[in-house]
Amino acid sequence: MSKRNFIVAGMLVVVAVGYLIISSTGSTASFFLTIEEVLAMGAEAQERSLTVSGAVIGDSIAYDASQPQVTFTMVQIPGDPKAVEAAGGLATVLHAAVTDPNAARLDVVYNGVRPDLLQDEAQAIVRGRIEPDGRLHADELLLKCPSRYAEEIPEQIED
Amino acid sequence: MLGDLGSILTALAFVATVYGGGAAFVSIRRSDPRWWESARHALYGAAALLGLAIVVLVQAFLSNDFGIRYVVQHSSRVLPGYLKVSAVWAGQEGSLLLWSFLQALFAALAIGRPGERVRSLAPWAAVVLGVIGAFFIGVSLLLSNPFAMLPAIPADGQGMNPLLRHPGMIFHPPAMYVGYVGLAIPFAYAMASLIAGGNVRWTTGTRTWTLVAWLGLSLGLLLGMRWAYDVLGWGGYWGWDPVENAGLMPWFTATALLHGAVMQDERRGFRIWNYVLVSLSFVLVLFGTFATRSGVIQSVHAYAASDLGAYFLGAIVVTLAASAGLIAYRGIALRSETSTESLISRDGLFFLTVVLFLMLTVSVFVGSVLPTLSHMLTGQSFEAGPAWFDRVTGPQFGALVLLLGVCPLVGRAVAVVRRVRQWVWLAGIGAAIGAIAPALAGFTDPMSLIGFSLTGLAGATALIEFGEGAVRRARSTGEAPLNALWALLRNQRRKYGGYLVHLGVVLMAVGVLGTRLYPFERDVVLASGEPQQVGDYTLVMDMMSQERVDDHVSTSASINVYDGTEYLVTLVPKVDRYDNYDQPYSVPALRPALKEDLYLILSGWDGAGTSATVRVVVNALANFLWAGGLVFLAGGAMALWPRSAKVYWNVLAGVTAAGLLIGSGWSMWGAPHGAVSSGGQRPAVGQPAPDFQLALLDGSATSLASMRGEVVVLNIWAPWCPTCRNNLPVLEDIWIAYRNRGVAFVGAAYQTDRADMEESVDLHGLTYPVGLDAGDRIAEAYGITGVPETFVVDAEGRIAYVHIGPVAEAVLRAELDALLEGRQ
Repeated sequence: MSKRNFIVAGMLVVVAVGYLIISSTGSTASFFLTIEEVLAMGAEAQERSLTVSGAVIGDSIAYDASQPQVTFTMVQIPGDPKAVEAAGGLATVLHAAVTDPNAARLDVVYNGVRPDLLQDEAQAIVRGRIEPDGRLHADELLLKCPSRYAEEIPEQIED
Repeated sequence: MLGDLGSILTALAFVATVYGGGAAFVSIRRSDPRWWESARHALYGAAALLGLAIVVLVQAFLSNDFGIRYVVQHSSRVLPGYLKVSAVWAGQEGSLLLWSFLQALFAALAIGRPGERVRSLAPWAAVVLGVIGAFFIGVSLLLSNPFAMLPAIPADGQGMNPLLRHPGMIFHPPAMYVGYVGLAIPFAYAMASLIAGGNVRWTTGTRTWTLVAWLGLSLGLLLGMRWAYDVLGWGGYWGWDPVENAGLMPWFTATALLHGAVMQDERRGFRIWNYVLVSLSFVLVLFGTFATRSGVIQSVHAYAASDLGAYFLGAIVVTLAASAGLIAYRGIALRSETSTESLISRDGLFFLTVVLFLMLTVSVFVGSVLPTLSHMLTGQSFEAGPAWFDRVTGPQFGALVLLLGVCPLVGRAVAVVRRVRQWVWLAGIGAAIGAIAPALAGFTDPMSLIGFSLTGLAGATALIEFGEGAVRRARSTGEAPLNALWALLRNQRRKYGGYLVHLGVVLMAVGVLGTRLYPFERDVVLASGEPQQVGDYTLVMDMMSQERVDDHVSTSASINVYDGTEYLVTLVPKVDRYDNYDQPYSVPALRPALKEDLYLILSGWDGAGTSATVRVVVNALANFLWAGGLVFLAGGAMALWPRSAKVYWNVLAGVTAAGLLIGSGWSMWGAPHGAVSSGGQRPAVGQPAPDFQLALLDGSATSLASMRGEVVVLNIWAPWCPTCRNNLPVLEDIWIAYRNRGVAFVGAAYQTDRADMEESVDLHGLTYPVGLDAGDRIAEAYGITGVPETFVVDAEGRIAYVHIGPVAEAVLRAELDALLEGRQ
């Protein structure tokens, strides 16, 4: 009798948490996409939060310190780490992307201070929404540099 | 040389561990105590050999042995000695060696001196620990050898990552490893108990190890949080990064295991649960190590996808299969004894606690692998950000805090109904205080008030436990209440240590609620000397400066913080650029206070150094988090305290625990908090100006008191400071213009000699009184942080205006005009 109570209560907790996970994934998790995938979605992409990664074009970076606001353009790179590895590593992929005039591009607006790591051929991971102006308005801007230390640091930190 | 020695020692340790596990197995097969003795000695030997290997690695770092690749990668000649020691665990290879050593040490201790209750299980546990140990030593030796040599010896190493040069980061990894390897001990005994047919006393017998592991994980997580807060400079302490999550998940299951073990010790079931929990804990330790190295978790952190991942995946599969198989095999035999009470009982609530911790583990796991998982399920990748984690885990943490508050009440409900009514009242009062106090302090968000009242409830019941226990004991023994409390704490360490941990959790929950529900973050551009209102604070930047320190260039902005007109503190956020590293390192500055932390990050500046972009973060109630963390650790240490031991053991344990607590306190608070300069004594506007006497150049003397009734301009300057000298003509001009209008001028020369001062005075033809501030008395009384600084004192002797740096003519004129106008 009481054992059944336990099972019912346990199941209730499991269902409640399951609901939380699924509903949160629907509302607050963001699509992890490449630029090509974003462009392929068209207007549909405006409906939800996205996380997009790409290579930064150095010449496109504009910074208005009075706001502060940064705008820049990023270029398509493959989303799959294995594809990146197969193409000769992150640094090669980033360099190739920036120098390829035909690669898909996306303009990014970030209301914040210009990060030091925002430089030519850096990898940007941007979280935000596509606004009707077709630009990605970023809430969060994370950068990785293909330099030796930038790659080694997390490995050192993690333990 | 040292490299070869280290490799040989590791190889011998591998052989000894494999032999030890094998010999233990043979001793079981043949029931031969000689084999068992041999196995134990082999495991001791393995621990000793790995200890020597660690010593060799430390020596390699200290002697700058750049023939070893690992030393080159993580050290350099200029690195201070203590950092060279901590460089041992700055990278993957050394970390694994340290891991192997701790694993072997713990195995030797757990096998060598097993508790009375689990003595019969020790041989099987030795077999399991032998396998685990051999796996880690093998990985360390064959795949990730810290003693690998370089073909050519470089002149210097590459240095240690500046981010890791922080006390929190020195102690964080070893603490985490203690947690990780410690969990292997209860796991090994649990497996042994399954193999040997379900000895239910393994939870009691390995309780100390579970507690040690859990405490290590707790300490490691807290230090990691504090390190992120102090060093990473994004204003937070927990970002739900996969690396953090990897450490959090085993902590959840270990916490659940501690609760389940209490039930099992009291013969109230939970036997299958505990086998599941201990297996999960160990698997999650392996998973954490695997996930951060294999690229399975897509993170913003760039994981070097090393080939270790596959081996750890194999280990996970084997562990899961073996433990699940054993539990299933013995499952029918174990099932008979389960709880039979109703859900609203101590058993029922413990059950819910364990379920919630498991669901938290599942939630964090799902969030960590969501990109991979959703890709497999739907073909699209979803990513779980901090918002996802907050939303999913928030209600679960809330439910746990509620359980924490309700559980002690329910536990007693059956015992004494009359008392329960009092407790419910007290707990209700606690909940009310929990909601009202923060509301009065300005935290009025309804969600947070629900949370605060939950913490109030839980805090009150935890305190009631202490109070009620002490009162009851005092009544029955006739002791004074405080003596009774002390005796209670001494005699029931595990129980009251647990309540202390709960109290710590409550405090931490307050901090989490404050920081998560009242986020405040602004980017502002501060121009030198111009006040700017940010939230409740007024920020005035004095100036920017740049200087060279050892191996880096440090750029800092000195920012005075006011609450309205009341001066609070001068904060100096910095950006360090190290010679060997492309990346700049931001050193945030922090003003901690009970209500909120003000956290400044320097994020940019203009070329002339006259304006700076600063990110202002206000973390509400953040200090509750750290204080709660210390209470939490203290409770854990208390629960671990050996019971009924000899006096000297108690003293030793006490000293160790106090030392550890002070050490963690120091790591959390004593660390460089991002260059907080106290500068505290600079009188604020409106305060009485400190009186001073000053001997003047012409041989006369003056004092501030003698000039009462006049407006006084005090300029503290130095002839060796170019900006001070350049400012002198401005002051002289204003003096000429205002000298007959009730304004007095005084120049106090700071840290200089008479000849230099006279030279400057003559050069600029100063006519206002100037004197030597001998012994820096005036400078100290006015709490200056540099020269020049100019203070305007009104006719009543109160500070009317403070200017740091050279004062512009128009500004000073305007101040004087305003003061003089006010008088007429």
